Amino acid sequence: MIENLENNKEEVIEEKEVMLHEELTSEQEEKIEEAIQETNKVEEGNRAGTILEGLLFIVGEEGITLAQASEVLGISQERAEEEFSLLQAAYAEDSRGFEIANYGGTYKFLSKAIVHPYAEKLFQTTKTAGISQAALETLAIIAYKQPITRVEIEEIRGVGCDMMLRKLEARNLIRENGRSDAPGRPILYEVTDEFMDSFKLYSLDELPKLPEFNTDENSENLFD
Amino acid sequence: MTFTVAIDQFEGPLDLMLHLIKEQELDLFDLDISVLTDQYLTYLNHMEDLHLEVASEYLLELATLIEYKSKKILPKDQSLLEDEFEEDPKDRLVRRLLEYQQFKEVSEQLSDLYHQRAMQMSKPISIEVDEWTKPKTEDAPIDGSPYDLVKAMNKCLRRLQLSKPIETKFTAKELSMEDRSLQIKARLRDLPDTFSFETLIEDCNDMQMVIVTFLSILDLARQHTLVFTIDENETIWFKRG
Repeated sequence: MIENLENNKEEVIEEKEVMLHEELTSEQEEKIEEAIQETNKVEEGNRAGTILEGLLFIVGEEGITLAQASEVLGISQERAEEEFSLLQAAYAEDSRGFEIANYGGTYKFLSKAIVHPYAEKLFQTTKTAGISQAALETLAIIAYKQPITRVEIEEIRGVGCDMMLRKLEARNLIRENGRSDAPGRPILYEVTDEFMDSFKLYSLDELPKLPEFNTDENSENLFD
Repeated sequence: MTFTVAIDQFEGPLDLMLHLIKEQELDLFDLDISVLTDQYLTYLNHMEDLHLEVASEYLLELATLIEYKSKKILPKDQSLLEDEFEEDPKDRLVRRLLEYQQFKEVSEQLSDLYHQRAMQMSKPISIEVDEWTKPKTEDAPIDGSPYDLVKAMNKCLRRLQLSKPIETKFTAKELSMEDRSLQIKARLRDLPDTFSFETLIEDCNDMQMVIVTFLSILDLARQHTLVFTIDENETIWFKRG
């Protein structure tokens, strides 16, 4: 008995080694080709969705873009988008504990908000990530008006924003993108993909509408 | 400290003005600047009485308000005013208040989104992915902004943290960038042609050393001793320059 077990164990180990070996030696291109062949083979069996689901699991928080998915699977971006939508719909079901988000152009698995209070209980934490009103205002101004200079932001907020911009930059929520042609060639700021992710945005078009002023000109325009 | 509390109540002079307008039930579209100025001044004086520091931004806006109020009181030469193409300071103030209010309102919505998102967690990338990743042999052009480098560095640090058990160490020794550069140069002989930043920091036992290493490679890259490239997985690869 024991010998048998030992033998089995060795076999398993050998198998594992072989697998590992294969994985390390096979070229990435081959892998891609294999995936392409596989998807072509069982097109109707919806293997692309299966593979994408698995990939989503592997990439974790780093996520996967449509371009990456279409390249790896050898399918069109439209097709990849369709597959992702199907997966998203499947995970949107109430019975699922996580969902597939697409913020800032990358798809990834996220646990559902409903889980959060229980996770807090499990890990006995009460700390929730915070963001100050000043940071929010500054981010809002940049997101709606980008690319924008520090002086323009300060003009709207009425307060100095130098430190705030540096903080937001350090948190990777904004980045510098070139310089304005204005005198002194001030730095232009814009929001990052991390900003999109932190605010559940797929693109800047999804930003909440700015409330309209009810000035006379606007009310006239209403009847146009 | 108390003064920060008082300042923190408002995000700036415009926020304070909006608060006063609401409190005094003033009409933003037919703004009575005199009332606003009085209220504003009262508030700032009150802050002074409490020995709270008033930030310079508040005083700047106060100066604008008083300037406008004084202009209104003084008899004005109508014809002279007509000639000036300068925007009416009142219109300008109202426009600024409205614009600020827009962003203030929308930032509340953003705050909701932020807190919703904070309730959703993700997992790090599978740790095995690093083991599969192979150095690229072809000459990849060096592109990417300093931000890509910073992002790659952050990712690297995060992975380093994940793969190591938590331990604390107190060390007094601080490695200088020059020493580290020499160490790296010496190690270059034993390293393969192309190697990753992860390989380079294998001998690091604390964050400071990782950072010194990073600074050193920046310096080495500047001296063209090393050439770096970042692949799509944001792994930093090096080659001898």
